[in-house]
Amino acid sequence: MSSDEHVRIFEVTTKDLEGLPDSRGENVRSMLKTDHGIKVDSVRVIMGYQVRSTISDAQAETLTYDLFADPVIEVAATDSRILDDFYEAPEVAIQIGFKPGVTDNSAQACLDGLTTLFPEQKEARVATYMTYAFWGVQGTVSPSELAATLYNPMIERASVADRNGCSKGHWPELGFPEVLPNIFKEPMTIDLEVSDDDLLEISERGLLALNLQEMKAIQSHYRDPAVRAERTEQGLQSDRPTDAELECLAQTWSEHCSHKIFAAKIRHVDKTTHEDSIINSLFKTHIMQPTLDIQKEVDWLLSIFHDNSGVISWNDEWSVCIKAETHNSPSALDPFGGAITGIVGVNRDILGTGLGARPIANTDVFCFGPPDYSGTIPPGLFHPSRVFRGVHSGVRSGGNESGIPTVNGAIVFDERYIGKPLVFCGTVGIMPRTLADGRESHVKTPKPGDIVYMVGGRVGSDGIHGATFSSLELTEESPSSAVQIGDPITQKKMLDMILEARDEGLIQVITDNGAGGLSSSVGEMAELTGGAKLDLGQVPLKQAGLSSWEILVSESQERMTVGVRPDDCEKFEALASLHEVEATAVGEFTDSGAFVVHHGQTPVAHLPIHFLFDGCPQLNLDSEWSPPTHLPVETPELDEEGMGKLLVRLLARPNVASKEWWVRSYDHEVIAQSVIKPFCGTNHDAPGDAAVIAPIQGGTQGLVISNGIAPRYSDIDSYAMAAASVDEALRNAVCVGVDLDLIAGLDNFCWPDPIESSKTPDGRYKLAQLVRANRALDDVCRAYRLPCISGKDSMKNDAMMGGEKISVPPTLLFSLLGNHEDVRKAVSSDFKKPGDAIFIVGETHQELGASELAFMLRDEGSGGIGGDVPDIEPERNMKVYRALASSMKSGLVSSAHDCSDGGLAVALAECCFGADSGASIDISPLQSDKEAFEESMEGVCCHYLGLVSKGDAISVSRDGEKVLLGSMSEMRDSWKNTLHGGGL
Amino acid sequence: MTPKVAVLSGFGINCETETMAVFEMSGARADRVHVNRLVNGELNLSDYQIMAIPGGFSFGDHLGSGRLMGNRLRFGLRDQVRGFVRDGKPVIGICNGFQILVKMGLLPGDEEVSLTQTASLALNDSGHYENRWVTLEFDPKSPCIWTAGLERIRVPVRHGEGKFVTDDPTLIDRWAESGQLVARYVDPTNEYPSASDNILPYPVSPNQSWRNVAGVCDPTGLVFGLMPHPEANHSTWLGATWTREQNEHGQGEGMAIFRNAVSHVMEA
Repeated sequence: MSSDEHVRIFEVTTKDLEGLPDSRGENVRSMLKTDHGIKVDSVRVIMGYQVRSTISDAQAETLTYDLFADPVIEVAATDSRILDDFYEAPEVAIQIGFKPGVTDNSAQACLDGLTTLFPEQKEARVATYMTYAFWGVQGTVSPSELAATLYNPMIERASVADRNGCSKGHWPELGFPEVLPNIFKEPMTIDLEVSDDDLLEISERGLLALNLQEMKAIQSHYRDPAVRAERTEQGLQSDRPTDAELECLAQTWSEHCSHKIFAAKIRHVDKTTHEDSIINSLFKTHIMQPTLDIQKEVDWLLSIFHDNSGVISWNDEWSVCIKAETHNSPSALDPFGGAITGIVGVNRDILGTGLGARPIANTDVFCFGPPDYSGTIPPGLFHPSRVFRGVHSGVRSGGNESGIPTVNGAIVFDERYIGKPLVFCGTVGIMPRTLADGRESHVKTPKPGDIVYMVGGRVGSDGIHGATFSSLELTEESPSSAVQIGDPITQKKMLDMILEARDEGLIQVITDNGAGGLSSSVGEMAELTGGAKLDLGQVPLKQAGLSSWEILVSESQERMTVGVRPDDCEKFEALASLHEVEATAVGEFTDSGAFVVHHGQTPVAHLPIHFLFDGCPQLNLDSEWSPPTHLPVETPELDEEGMGKLLVRLLARPNVASKEWWVRSYDHEVIAQSVIKPFCGTNHDAPGDAAVIAPIQGGTQGLVISNGIAPRYSDIDSYAMAAASVDEALRNAVCVGVDLDLIAGLDNFCWPDPIESSKTPDGRYKLAQLVRANRALDDVCRAYRLPCISGKDSMKNDAMMGGEKISVPPTLLFSLLGNHEDVRKAVSSDFKKPGDAIFIVGETHQELGASELAFMLRDEGSGGIGGDVPDIEPERNMKVYRALASSMKSGLVSSAHDCSDGGLAVALAECCFGADSGASIDISPLQSDKEAFEESMEGVCCHYLGLVSKGDAISVSRDGEKVLLGSMSEMRDSWKNTLHGGGL
Repeated sequence: MTPKVAVLSGFGINCETETMAVFEMSGARADRVHVNRLVNGELNLSDYQIMAIPGGFSFGDHLGSGRLMGNRLRFGLRDQVRGFVRDGKPVIGICNGFQILVKMGLLPGDEEVSLTQTASLALNDSGHYENRWVTLEFDPKSPCIWTAGLERIRVPVRHGEGKFVTDDPTLIDRWAESGQLVARYVDPTNEYPSASDNILPYPVSPNQSWRNVAGVCDPTGLVFGLMPHPEANHSTWLGATWTREQNEHGQGEGMAIFRNAVSHVMEA
């Protein structure tokens, strides 16, 4: 620190103006009430900025209202405390700031603003904090309880002043978050000539998540005389790995990066059919093979499975791609940071596809514990309502600030997601089929000699061990270094720059830095040319002193790795500088057959490409299926009004209830392309099915994006679960008029650990569930000619907390991307006008097992969830879908909605919400009318049900008797209240 | 002459693609212009006839939406921006672009183009970001060239900080008088004209803006900014309830604003 450098404090709060509330404070007050049941009369929020710099007093005065405070609506204090200025001293004051080293996006923006005014202040440091002042705090609530609702000790610090402190003006005060310098450790080597127990100990101690077989494969690599000779030549210790090599192998071989369970050899035994067979890789057998078979029949599958996302041809000018990722473990530890990192991370998968695609739409699907859960939460976990709020806020910031609309999604609630929430973030991208230089944009074209650039953010100690950590269960000891906070603006600048570079033909190869950091990104691309060399000494760092292995595996965000021809480097760097994006040459692609890493002059790693990517031994696993047993569903005998009330209660279930309050705060319309939006209907509050976008402004060809998820059917049979997920995604797409000849899918599996062990005694059953789900995916996708073009799995969704294990229900999210020939013919779900005829299309059976109704009745105290689950007959369904699609083209369909959670009853209610209407329905077997539509649907199952009616009543009768009668306004209130997030 | 539009980009602006598209659909030529290309002299604003600052999240809205980008323009491009406005060329700021124009003092602005901030866009009363459709009504007596002849349009708002306020109540009367409070939120179930000074209930007024103000212009009527996104309603199939309406498909309700500016330049 130079002698005249010192820390100044700037504080800002809302000015006292009539008609200008402190909405931040009001938000906190409302959140405390909604999520925690804590009553407070009023809250004020003060933003604080700690600036370490050499600015003078006069400069500080300029900064106060030119940078920190808005002169019209805010008041500021410089080097004094706003808490002193309130007319009445607060009862409690809490100050919250980040821990040292945690990403502080607001501080980064301040620094940028500071150097706009005073360019010489490049060395300044800024940290931000928030101070919350409370009045009228409910008597029983202690200041520390209040603080606990506001901060996450894993990433934040808090200082609290209680009533006594406040009365004396002893305000909370956090010092400047000093980042301690990292101590550079020389590269070490690890002796692997040790006992098996010690090998495992090395793996566990280093958080490597490698099993004994894998450790032994590494051991034997370093015994190979040829390997030893090569290492001696490279100046490395010949008989043992460096720490960097071992880390690099652990990242590349992690479950997260190499999908070992899906690649495993499985012996599958079925107790009911006496099947006893061997499956050599679920992925190759049930996901890849069906797609390869479909590829023989269609010409639009451009790039499948090997890139960061799957690419299909949309028309002669454009190709489109889709990818979804999960960010479950980080979201459990820090819901906001985990989720924002998840969404901006999957955006980079799109940017890293081919030579770079533009992200144009996000999807967000979450699985949480029930927000109204009243049981005890194991230590180390957050209450589901807090996870919900944090995750929502993270994807909202990530998506909105990046300018990518969130067009579709779902939220699923089940108690078993309390241990690990599932946070699926998906992105759709678009790119020109060919670039100006004639190259096809979905094909990477690296050559030996191309320069490796790292572009975007710097490398820090944040995000070390993300890949291996997510391959382990969550425990109290889970490291905070695995948590990061995404920075959408750094990423947006990088995205703008990369897409310009692509269009100028400057990019030969590109991939994102996600799990495994540079070790994965450079390693993976080295596979394309047959080698790469990397100099860690060139990598720009957030803080000095990082060790070689840390630089290599750090997952610091907002970074892409790009290969550029030597002749193009100057242009590439100039473009980066224009966009104020850091781009640094850190290595070179080679054809040496090895991934070679130096740190300055010091050799750090030498890993043969074939060993790095093909050396991981295949797992051998056992699977055994016998169906579970459950108490059967008990359906109640009710009169028509009782049945109406039952529907009112069903509509209030979190899985069914309106998510409007939450979804409304996602930008779902940026890029000006959203045709069928998350909301429809006369009051803009009825739920849409699939999203339809027309991504070329003014064009009428569209894309359909939908999701299917039905985890609770896994309680009965994961085959039905997976089949229902695929079918739901397709049904949603059919409802808006998808082109059934151009549909592609994405499978995202989130499973509890399915490997039998002392910690997982039921591993064989969980693996059998995985086998059955894969078989369903195979069967249904083939029948629908719906190829999976990319996918992902997350296989350790368990939490071990206080000796208690919580495993998620086996969950498959199926996402669909399809073509829409003419968006002007798209159909929305809301009923359009009284008198419209209502039909149910497809067969209805007594299939209430694991239904939302079954769970509701069980939760209310009667019966279980056992019974038949929907049995998908894909060939029959496809006929129905094609008939409906052609009716839509003929303009015969004014609305269509998918029957899912809550079945036909909920679907009808939702259609009525959109029209402010009622409905009059008869479910007696089969009436006949409405010729045109019925003719169009000839040969498939289609029943006339009744009419959209004016007024507030919904009524259902059967054989002349009323079986359900309800009030739509009562239903709407019930449906809207459950998940209202508080405030306006 | 085909008017050339400078559509600013960079640092988190993110609606430049559709903003360029609507100007092109209106018969202009639109260039994506990174702010730094103006700062480094590679491009000059004086070569353009219209400037648009699109929506987005410049600098992540940290330190208040539009403030850091406003500073970049106010300090880094002061002469070019003032020159452009003083030359009588139309400027539009949408959403974050409006916030930038207000924070840098171009709106509601003054005759001298002094770049002094006199109003602001505070956090919505709801305390959070929202995307919802609203109905706007325009002041027929306003000098605003962008909204000439318009009565009402339906457009989405997509912002967290859009509550128009000022700390000097005499100013707001003056702006009303001079037709600068040009766009206001109205309840579409009321007959035209219905713009009123009493704050309408949420969510008809999504942010509880003073006098229901959604957009303002400068005293000349050439500089215009608004929180809602007219460029997001460039085609009939993008409306919130278009599937409930009998449409002759074509350009959407938001397009008239851009066509107005392009004709203004072409007729000049």
